[in-house]
Amino acid sequence: MDIITARDLTVGYGRTEVLRDLAFAIPEGLITAVVGVSGSGKSTLLKTLAGLLPPLGGGFEFAGSPVDYRSEASLGRLYARIGVLYQDGALLNGLSLYENVALPVRMHYPELPEAVVRDMVHAGLAQVEMAGSAEKFPSELSGGMRKRGALARALVLDPHVVFCDEPSSGLDPITSRLLDDLLLRLKESFKMTLVVVTHELRSIERVADRVLLLNDGGLRYAGDYADLAASDDGFIRTFFLRKGHHDDA
Amino acid sequence: MSETASTPGPSEILRLPKRLRAAELVAVLGDLGRRSGDGPVILDFRDVEEFDSATLAFLGHLSDCQPGVSAANVPEALARAEAAFARRPDVCWPEKPAAPPSGTRSSRFFQAMADRFLARVRALGMFLAMFGDEVFHIGRYLRRRRGVYPGETWNQMFFMGYLSFPIVCLLLFLVGVTISITSAEQLRIFGAEVYIADLVGYAMLRELVPLMTGVILAGKVGAAVTAELASMTVLEEVDALRTMGVVPERFLMVPRLIAITLVVPLLVAMADVAGIFGGVVVARVTFGMLPSAFIDQMLNTVDWTDFAWGLIKTVVFGWAVVVGAGFKGLTVGRSAEEVGRATTQSVVLSITMIIVIDCIFAFVLY
Repeated sequence: MDIITARDLTVGYGRTEVLRDLAFAIPEGLITAVVGVSGSGKSTLLKTLAGLLPPLGGGFEFAGSPVDYRSEASLGRLYARIGVLYQDGALLNGLSLYENVALPVRMHYPELPEAVVRDMVHAGLAQVEMAGSAEKFPSELSGGMRKRGALARALVLDPHVVFCDEPSSGLDPITSRLLDDLLLRLKESFKMTLVVVTHELRSIERVADRVLLLNDGGLRYAGDYADLAASDDGFIRTFFLRKGHHDDA
Repeated sequence: MSETASTPGPSEILRLPKRLRAAELVAVLGDLGRRSGDGPVILDFRDVEEFDSATLAFLGHLSDCQPGVSAANVPEALARAEAAFARRPDVCWPEKPAAPPSGTRSSRFFQAMADRFLARVRALGMFLAMFGDEVFHIGRYLRRRRGVYPGETWNQMFFMGYLSFPIVCLLLFLVGVTISITSAEQLRIFGAEVYIADLVGYAMLRELVPLMTGVILAGKVGAAVTAELASMTVLEEVDALRTMGVVPERFLMVPRLIAITLVVPLLVAMADVAGIFGGVVVARVTFGMLPSAFIDQMLNTVDWTDFAWGLIKTVVFGWAVVVGAGFKGLTVGRSAEEVGRATTQSVVLSITMIIVIDCIFAFVLY
């Protein structure tokens, strides 16, 4: 079953269209990698799917219901079912890691006793192996720790879909691999749907079940990662299989 | 160009030096500029061994951009590098003058003015919408007590009130001293020294304390609020709040607005005391007037309504500062440079609003 279905979706900023007339589906319970060269509109598409940037045309459905950007209730329903891992984590600098992870719980369920909030936060931090750093502030954490902490915050309310914007960027290969393993574990253990924006080929290879390849203002490929090897599209081969056009000849 | 030799003939030949990088190319271009109109010129590249990307770009655009100038004896290495060099199409060196803009000068002027005016109107509309939203959010928060981080209002009260208290009191004391000194001489001429108390009391309570406190809040609180919110916007923290289902305009602004509403009365009361104390000191030193006589005389003129109006004005100024600062902080672009710009604009906007609101109060009250 598809959790997100886009039809004629055009995204961009102001009057500038970055991606036009996209039609794709994101299946539930799998990891979909949104890939493309720098500036191809990956993050713009992610912002639209996460309810931050209104589409310039068309629209998309989330879990069978159309997302209406003019309706606060519709966006509220979307926000309640997603989690977002931002490129630099976007932890609130004035709050400790514990308070950051507790924030969505406290905002949505202020009636919950503090003991329950504490358990939820510690479970979230344990999931990303950060339980020992709960009292630290974001400025005291490394880049990889900030991302894992932000992932704990995105997961604390058990969202249906987690959007990850460049999770591996700026990380060393070992930390990057740990984060990839974490994403795989989330998919396998919790049947979570993940939409990962990235251009790290190793990361795509490790985690992606499905691929949306963006190029030249549109969608170049939408399908299984496993089927990419069979593609005879020169751009796809150059992008994924690290073979230049001259190799195709 | 010491190595450039010229040979007479129907076409003048410039023999280029062995090293032809950007620095040498500038000299060649200068030479070509001086010879323009003297007939065709052939650039002889036979000696060129050292070159850089400037040389390749020049060579690539030679035929398009330098009429009457041609290349000869281009070494194979240079030709090969030039063929592989990625050039931007339709670019000339020196660049051709840009096409003149369409429309007459006056129509372009009015178009630009109209665009700026519309942009200002749009910004004003967004600001007023945000102001209305904030009133709604505060009302909703006071009813439901949700959507704001616990304890944040106290933090903001500490920052806006406690940390602003020394500077507000010091500056208002000095303003009281200044206005007393400047008035004292004029009052002495008319033998009306005793009225210094009325003047200082009335001016302080009604005008100077609200205005100066508002300006200090704009510089201290407004700038800090804008810088903080703008940084949060740039670092995607505001987006993160939104996708957590938290309304940033409530989460970030309501504590600040409640804090400013609660701390302004205390600040105003302290500032009134400090300003009047400045007047008392000057009256004592200049006229030998006893503090008790000063206060008695002042209370003949001012009453609690003067204090209340000053208080109301300052609360309105405080709201204008915080909403203006929040507006600038939450609508900032996505670069660090814009954070600084937004902070400056926030202070200017706040002070402008304070003076406009003060003017409106003056029309209403007097």
